[in-house]
Amino acid sequence: MTTATAAARTRRMNLWRLEWLRLTRTPRAIAVCAVFLFIGLIEPVATRYENDLIGHLSRGAQISAPPPTPADGLNSYVTEITTVGLIIVVTLAAAALSFDTRHGISTFLRTRVTSTWQLVVPRFAVSAAAAAAAYLLGTLAAWYETQVLIGSLPARGVLAGVLCGATYLSFAVAVTAFAASLVRSIVGTVATALAILVVLPIASTYHAIARWLPSALVNAPADLVNGTQHLSHFVPSLAVSVAASAAALLIAVRRLAARET
Amino acid sequence: MTAKDHLASSQAPAAVTEGSGAAGSSPALPPGSGPVVTTSGLTRDYGGVGLFDVDLVVPRGSVYGLVGMNGAGKTTLLSLLSGLRRPDRGAIRMSIGRHKVAVCPDVSDFDDWLTAHEAVDLSRSLLAPGAGGGTVEAALAAAGLADSADRRVGGFSRGMVQRLGLACALVDDPELLILDEPTSALDPTGRAEMLAQVAAMRGRRTVIFSSHILADVQRIADQVGILRDGRLLYQGGTQDLINMYLTPTWLVRIAGETAPIAAAAACQPWAARVEQAEPGAIRIEATSMEAGERGIPAVIAACDARLVSLEPADADLESAFLALTGASSQGEK
Repeated sequence: MTTATAAARTRRMNLWRLEWLRLTRTPRAIAVCAVFLFIGLIEPVATRYENDLIGHLSRGAQISAPPPTPADGLNSYVTEITTVGLIIVVTLAAAALSFDTRHGISTFLRTRVTSTWQLVVPRFAVSAAAAAAAYLLGTLAAWYETQVLIGSLPARGVLAGVLCGATYLSFAVAVTAFAASLVRSIVGTVATALAILVVLPIASTYHAIARWLPSALVNAPADLVNGTQHLSHFVPSLAVSVAASAAALLIAVRRLAARET
Repeated sequence: MTAKDHLASSQAPAAVTEGSGAAGSSPALPPGSGPVVTTSGLTRDYGGVGLFDVDLVVPRGSVYGLVGMNGAGKTTLLSLLSGLRRPDRGAIRMSIGRHKVAVCPDVSDFDDWLTAHEAVDLSRSLLAPGAGGGTVEAALAAAGLADSADRRVGGFSRGMVQRLGLACALVDDPELLILDEPTSALDPTGRAEMLAQVAAMRGRRTVIFSSHILADVQRIADQVGILRDGRLLYQGGTQDLINMYLTPTWLVRIAGETAPIAAAAACQPWAARVEQAEPGAIRIEATSMEAGERGIPAVIAACDARLVSLEPADADLESAFLALTGASSQGEK
């Protein structure tokens, strides 16, 4: 036995370490971080040179547009992450939470745990933490690029935006857990979760509840850095997101516990 | 509700109860000291197919083979016993604690990126969190995977994965081991090793395993249950079943000419039928077991023939199974 394998054996396994290994021994952690980081680095650049690019593509036609503001740099990152990043996070979470997809693994786990919470909580928490970490990484990259190319951003607004964005992604992971309790396959879980997350903002057309919906957090980072809103404006949607996440997990656990393999 | 919760539940439509069950290392379990699992009227109906009114009795310390054709209800019965599915009616009673029950599915499966040691250690952490690290190595060694402990499961053959499943089940030293088709993925050598391992458990723990390979069941199971169309046609001693359907027919192998023996046997009043089975062997059917047992050796001796072997024909589980399931279907017609 080598020193490395001996050291590995001293780290005892549990369901939390299983999820950590799922992230680090597969391309999942690298993939999710790389996507967020890439978008964080590229979007402020694209925003900074957007007018020049349009000018080149329009073959001499005169197009005048206002110069980008620092808030535009971060806003472009948020806009892109809302689609691509969300799909990546939901896929990552679905792969972990769809533990009934493979009969052998399902039997192994279900005949050994005393509560379905044991299976769901580490999967949710590690996926949500990974999503939040990747979101933070991407935001820091976008912040740095914006600072260098366009101008400075208010630190408090950026960090408050990270809080809102990370909370929304955690809500998306909880919705994925709920979706995994509706369908067994990973593809089905991803499709169901994305459908719920896409349909949910439609409710925001009813203005009375718009600021209470989790989807209000999607554009919060941009609103917070350009000063149009203060963090207190998003407290209702933050609270609803946390409560809705808890409810989604509770329903998911109950449904998964009742499911037969 | 998890499988374990389900086993402990008494609120389900079917009463599922368990006894106090001693925790810790299981001592030798003398066969016949009371059943470890009993079911009464166990039913799970999938619209005409499934499992119906099964009264199972599994003696403590026995190796209980569950046999039946595809779709007979073997996996459904094992899933109900494991708590992975819930019965529509009936009751399951276990005389041991639910934490002393281990389950191996027909196709064991693990995340490819785990090492064998990590997979067994994960099982240990869930089944016996207080157990020492040595239990993992012991379980891997018992499954013949000590040398592959630090290899990732993704590089394992199907047989190795199957053995890893067994190691994960054995890590908590269960009193009841439920194995669904444990030899289905194994090559002949792996199959022989698995069967020897299960056979060696007799008396130390109770094993319920399903198989459609009747030779495997006959080889290691002292108790057998035969399922057909979701109903338990027979349960009891394996040898008792073979004896029950034993026909008074023998296969006689002779060194030299078989024709004189065949002619002499055919003249006997107790001989019902005599035929050439294969070169150097004849099949003799007597009117009764006793008549054949007395008459055949006498004929061989009278002919001064050189006897190679004399054995009962069709004295195996397969013949008994076919006779039982055939008789049952004819009875229904």
